[in-house]
Amino acid sequence: MGFWEHLWLGVLTVFTVGPAFEIFGIPISITLLMIVAGFCIGIIVGATPGLAGPMAMAIALPILISIFGVKQDALLPVLGFLIGIMKGATIGGAVPAILFNTPGTPDALLTTFDGYPMAKRGKARKALKAAHFASASGDTFSDLVLFTSAPFLAIMVERFLDLPEKTGLIILSLSFIAAVVGRSAAKGLISAGLGLLVAYIGKGEDFYPRLSLGQEALADGFPVVTAVLGVLILGEVFKGLEDLLRSGPQARDLSQAEASADNRFGWADVRACWPYIRSSALIGTAIGALPGIGSTLAATLGYASGRRSHARKNPEQARFGSGRIEGVAATEAANSAVSGANLIPVLSLGIPGNAAAVFLILAMDSIGGFNPGPSVFKLSGGVTGEGVNPELVVVFGIFTAMMVANALNWSLGGLFMRSVGVMARIPKHLLLPVILLLTLTAIYVQLTSMAGVYFAIGFGFLGYFMRRIDMSVLPFVIAFILGRNLEDTARQAFAATGGDALFLLHSPIALVFILVSVAVVAMAFWRSEAAAPPESHHEPKTGK
Amino acid sequence: MKHNNKGELVLGLAFLAFALFVLLIWVPLDTDTGLIEKVRRRWVIGDALAPSVAAVLIALGGGLVTINALLGRGEPMPLGWSSLRFAGLSFGLLFVAFLLMRWIGPLAVTLAGEAESYRNLRDTLPWKYLGFLSGGFVLIFVSIVAVERRLTVRAFLVAVLAPLIIALVYDLPFDDLLLPPNGDL
Repeated sequence: MGFWEHLWLGVLTVFTVGPAFEIFGIPISITLLMIVAGFCIGIIVGATPGLAGPMAMAIALPILISIFGVKQDALLPVLGFLIGIMKGATIGGAVPAILFNTPGTPDALLTTFDGYPMAKRGKARKALKAAHFASASGDTFSDLVLFTSAPFLAIMVERFLDLPEKTGLIILSLSFIAAVVGRSAAKGLISAGLGLLVAYIGKGEDFYPRLSLGQEALADGFPVVTAVLGVLILGEVFKGLEDLLRSGPQARDLSQAEASADNRFGWADVRACWPYIRSSALIGTAIGALPGIGSTLAATLGYASGRRSHARKNPEQARFGSGRIEGVAATEAANSAVSGANLIPVLSLGIPGNAAAVFLILAMDSIGGFNPGPSVFKLSGGVTGEGVNPELVVVFGIFTAMMVANALNWSLGGLFMRSVGVMARIPKHLLLPVILLLTLTAIYVQLTSMAGVYFAIGFGFLGYFMRRIDMSVLPFVIAFILGRNLEDTARQAFAATGGDALFLLHSPIALVFILVSVAVVAMAFWRSEAAAPPESHHEPKTGK
Repeated sequence: MKHNNKGELVLGLAFLAFALFVLLIWVPLDTDTGLIEKVRRRWVIGDALAPSVAAVLIALGGGLVTINALLGRGEPMPLGWSSLRFAGLSFGLLFVAFLLMRWIGPLAVTLAGEAESYRNLRDTLPWKYLGFLSGGFVLIFVSIVAVERRLTVRAFLVAVLAPLIIALVYDLPFDDLLLPPNGDL
């Protein structure tokens, strides 16, 4: 089957399979319904300081699996819901940032710089409209880049990379993530090493489960959900609770200024913001495509680039930071442009680049039938090689789901995001203990074992201590997920090269990957450890 | 800028020691195959190689942190005794909450003089909710009160309602799901 047939099947799967109900005789599919639900929940979650998209994805996943099971036709409804959350949370984060000077998500911190001064002048609605327009533009652009570049990248990988090169590529990705995430490359290496070590407990080729200390509970290794949810979600909850214990419940200024007359976002505003949206969307997309670099850096670079450009072109006008609508647009376009591009390494290489991508891979892994990586883009399927490749149909289904979410974003997103400002009023100290119980319950219902809950609590404390010693948890999680894949590929490469212990050095491409890995870590170490002044340690105060 | 960085030095040395422990003691003693093995006249990668590589990464990172600390570079470590105390208290709270979750149901069945065991009643009302609601209440109530530093009606209401809503969300629509700890009893 050809490209267009797979594409059409993917679109049809989203719109027609599993009709949930009818509107005027038109059947609404369950996938469509889940995208809408995920998108609305994403906006609410994004607008709630203390919650975040990945947190909602983590809590939702076990519920979704309980509803849909682990059948092949569960994939698109579940992924559609998670993609909806991912996209909704991105625009939702701007709401409390503009209205109350409290970023709903960390990447919306820079939105406060211009958004809140605008709100204080009675132009909150205008700032929200600009944030929505920029966010939807950046997101759509990023998705279009994903649709065109992911298949191309996958085909290149399949054509030019054999087993040693694929091993080298995974090592390069892990090194890159370890080196660039967080402030210390050395601690990033430790984090990735710990993730790999935990991934290798219990699961090996030999009859005896390695590193299991003779314990039956460790024989099959740690369930993925316990390590991922423990380190990412419980660790964050513990850290948040300790911060609140130290500072006491945070009082926020939730008063809003009287709305001024000029709250329209017209063509003149679009024209003024467009150059900044354009360059920020490019920056966000480029950053999103690289594993490990998150939307916060994209927002920072987008804002910095916009500020420089604005100061150069308009020296007579007030600068960014004083309530410029262009500042809001530059930040929101950059952080939203990350969400589509971060699926490029997921779909084409099977490598998650950020926390949201981790949960998409977790969903694919839990349900089965879809193994992200270069092979999903093969046009041939079935025994004869001329049938349907169901994984490619799922890929086009995912792309369709993303476009549906974009359409929702453009049509209803702005209206909905302007109505969820109330979420910022929920105190964080009431929210965090509830999230703790909810996450532990979600883990239990998925594993039906208290051992799983205890493991997750253990990983939660690990995540807490990692945060406290200023060690990023993302390299741990991604190394944990890629650990088995890395070992399997290396085993196959070793066997395929006839037991060549230096197989990574004998292939020119693999050698380049290894050299680049070493260079990336060395450069990051040099920059982060030697150059960073100690005063730069303090984190900006966010709503997280 | 050079500065006193004792915490980072301890941290680097601790990870270095942990990596050496994994590499020299844990992996050799708790893995049945070596780094590479000869199986049916072919060399294959053994189970010890991957964890050893992980340990080398940890050692490398620990070594770099140590070197930085010795050179007075890097950033002061924010981990202190207060963090350890918080972890201990949180662990204690979770321990008590899960103890209640585990035993309140069976205890209530015994006190009520039911003929059936808790295991047989674990998916029936009201027994199935007792452990989860009481453990959840303690976990949430104590956490909120600790932050607010006073007893409030709001904390009480959240601690009562949140576990109830979570229980209903999972229990009402799904017949095959069991709330903690009922699947283990």
